[in-house]
Amino acid sequence: MTLAVPPSTPGSPSELPGDPAVEQAVDRLRGEYAGRIRPQLVVRVVRDCRRDLGGSPVGAMPELVERLARVRLGRHIA
Amino acid sequence: MGYVDVSAVRHTLSDGRVLLDDVNFRVGEGARAALVGENGAGKTTLLRIIAGDLVPEAGSIARTGGLGVMRQFIGSVRDDTTVQRLLVDLSPPAVRAAWDAVEAAELALMETDDEPAQMAYADALAQWGDAGGYDVEVTWDTVTVAALGVPYDRCKYRSLSTLSGGEQKRLALEALLRGPDQVLLLDEPDNYLDVPGKRWLEERLLETRKTVLFISHDRELLARVADRVITVEGGTAWVHGGGFASYHEARSSRHERMAELRRRWDEEHDRLVELVRTLQQQAKNSPAMASKYSAMQTRLAKFEAAGPPPDRPEEQKVAMRLRGGRTGVRAVMAEQLELTGLMQPFDAELWFGDRVGVLGANGAGKSHFLRLLAGRDVAHTGSWRLGARVVPGFFAQTHAHPEWQERTPVDLLWHGEPGRPGVDRGRAMAALRRYGLTDQADQPFRTLSGGQQARFQILLLELGGATLLLLDEPTDNLDVLSAEALEEALAAFEGTVLAVTHDRWFARSFDRFLVFGADGRVYESAEPVFDEARVARAR
Repeated sequence: MTLAVPPSTPGSPSELPGDPAVEQAVDRLRGEYAGRIRPQLVVRVVRDCRRDLGGSPVGAMPELVERLARVRLGRHIA
Repeated sequence: MGYVDVSAVRHTLSDGRVLLDDVNFRVGEGARAALVGENGAGKTTLLRIIAGDLVPEAGSIARTGGLGVMRQFIGSVRDDTTVQRLLVDLSPPAVRAAWDAVEAAELALMETDDEPAQMAYADALAQWGDAGGYDVEVTWDTVTVAALGVPYDRCKYRSLSTLSGGEQKRLALEALLRGPDQVLLLDEPDNYLDVPGKRWLEERLLETRKTVLFISHDRELLARVADRVITVEGGTAWVHGGGFASYHEARSSRHERMAELRRRWDEEHDRLVELVRTLQQQAKNSPAMASKYSAMQTRLAKFEAAGPPPDRPEEQKVAMRLRGGRTGVRAVMAEQLELTGLMQPFDAELWFGDRVGVLGANGAGKSHFLRLLAGRDVAHTGSWRLGARVVPGFFAQTHAHPEWQERTPVDLLWHGEPGRPGVDRGRAMAALRRYGLTDQADQPFRTLSGGQQARFQILLLELGGATLLLLDEPTDNLDVLSAEALEEALAAFEGTVLAVTHDRWFARSFDRFLVFGADGRVYESAEPVFDEARVARAR
């Protein structure tokens, strides 16, 4: 287990403009689910995941968002 | 800053014996208190009570400032505990709990990668952050670099069993001294540390502003670091408010005072008993004396109910009688001696009555040199011989006698060995009594404590009639009182003494020193030399 990421910033907004956690996840997942899920839905799911994970450590956020979004998008396909 | 307050603590052993009773002391903010006492007196038990591992039968412990505990076993961990686990275990409870929650969430995620498991993992990470976990990891990195010379990420999964005892101790001490806990309980922190390591520990304990309560048998460490000494003896504890330098005098004075108070109580008791007897006789003949007799009976009953003051603690019964005997003037001669692969050839000459300390780097061949002189099979070149009437007696480190493990002290004494005639049970028991080993007479050797095994080995030297004592770290497991008894016995010994030691206090009692250097050079020194580095070997 490697937890060496900076702590979350208390009071940070749930979705920052240009939030790298959202942008990175959207970029990867849009490509991965191309043709199966509409890009707009990918963006919405990722943003929802980012909001639901608010309060988690910032450094861990990209991984947490992407993993959770993958589970939720998987449900849409099924 | 923090403190520990121990109040009226009582602890009873499983066999019903009261080990500690009415223990009261306070270790105030920033104090460096040493906890001393003979082997088995209850020091570690008391530390475990303060740490919360044991619940006292009576009394209470109050403390503030967060408690960091280094247990005695650190230094001898041989299981698969990792560096990471040790560092977690030494962390404050909130960090430990957060870490365990993250681990549990990770395991759950490996089993089922669904949304609840992911949310639980994210929650555990958030709690880890809230508990200061990320800052703690930065500290752990500093700790591993300081103790092991490698970053945390490169050694966190390393098993402690791959580290030396000294490295394990150093790692734990760095973690506790740099950690947030303001009160540290250290059970023999100097064990397994070489002399430079002990000096490092002394400096760190002197500069820390934390409150420290530590157990140690190292008199040099006690003298340099402790600003008060708490002694566990006679089933209770008392505090000497000064350092170790004035401790012996304070202890003697206390014992004399206790003996005097007890003597006065006994005298007063005898006087009252006699008075009651006299008045009883008089009351038979004179009704007027009956009321006096009754009053005196009441007074005696009250006096006895209040009980006597505690008697002075029984002194540890260690009376070592290393006699020795006259030998040739030259006791040991070595010419161009080299223990194969360990050192450069060297000459040495020891004279009858010499007290020579053997010092130097770990792995430089000091113990092998002693074993060679003891007549053991050690590969070497060059020549050596013992002088006329020189009979070597060898004290090995306590783990060096696998053949004794299942045998009892009485059995070992009864059978004897070449050069040491066997003795009957009566004589064996008398000898064991002088070494404070009566209760262990019929126990297998392996069940004896390190200190008891060491004392038994010294007894064998006494019975063997040695005139040249070859001692390999004899004070390593001895409590302070036993170490002093050994020093007294060596002072009275008529013969030659050669001792390997890392005990700086003990080393000061020697006349000169043979130093085994890390570069393979063996040289003589009039002063003790403790700076030789460890011998580098390919691993």
